[in-house]
Amino acid sequence: MKTLIKIKPNSYKVGDIVKVDFMAMHPMESGMRKDKDTGAIVPAHYINEVNFLFNDKVLTKMVTWESLSVNPVLSISLKVSGAGTLKVLAKDNKGESVETSAAITPKG
Amino acid sequence: MERRSFLKGFGTVTACAALIPSITNAADEAKKVTGPNEMSTESAIAAITGGKPVSPSAKVSLSAPEIAENGAVVPVKVSVESPMSANDYVKAIHILASKNNNTRCANVYLTPANGEASFGTRIKLGATQDVLAIVEMSNGTFLSAKQNVKVTIGGCG
Repeated sequence: MKTLIKIKPNSYKVGDIVKVDFMAMHPMESGMRKDKDTGAIVPAHYINEVNFLFNDKVLTKMVTWESLSVNPVLSISLKVSGAGTLKVLAKDNKGESVETSAAITPKG
Repeated sequence: MERRSFLKGFGTVTACAALIPSITNAADEAKKVTGPNEMSTESAIAAITGGKPVSPSAKVSLSAPEIAENGAVVPVKVSVESPMSANDYVKAIHILASKNNNTRCANVYLTPANGEASFGTRIKLGATQDVLAIVEMSNGTFLSAKQNVKVTIGGCG
């Protein structure tokens, strides 16, 4: 699972509200689709848990299901309270987990 | 003899009682891995609210396209008017697609540190249907918003 965190806008100050986009490269199989060649049902494979932490404090918790699109994007807001790291922990139903982090560096 | 048979019977009953929940849990766990998950809108809403009333509110804005040409990628955005202070904030945003096999799309649990109650993602829709947002406020009330999305090509399967 490849992941990416984007923070918009590029420069921000303490007290600003920024948009945090978390993107993951994931097939998000629903368990209902049939393989075109073999006709066998492709087993479900989807991200089921995403946790956003700012300086190791829980910011947002998510439980997600197979109805999210392939390569999902999850966006939330963050009120910048100071410098720190934003960590995102994502897990899928097959037990694979990924940790991604991004630095929050307010200017001024 | 009677005592012995009684004890035997008692033993099997307790053993069965202990086994039943573990069996159902195992089945649930297996379904989680292989899928497909199934849940209707009514039971999903009941699981979220625990039977409490849900009132449609103008405070919740749900933006989704009215016509989605491709059901595989439908952008959905929810934002809620709220000060997001320590004692008045949005606890959770739930997105449901009413006619999908598993209605639930995402359950998002926010904190006051978010600063703004907003959540955006892209979902798959199998057919023309209503997209629902159920919002839980910190005072325990539930608000909702919904929008009908016309899907030209389904995104499931």
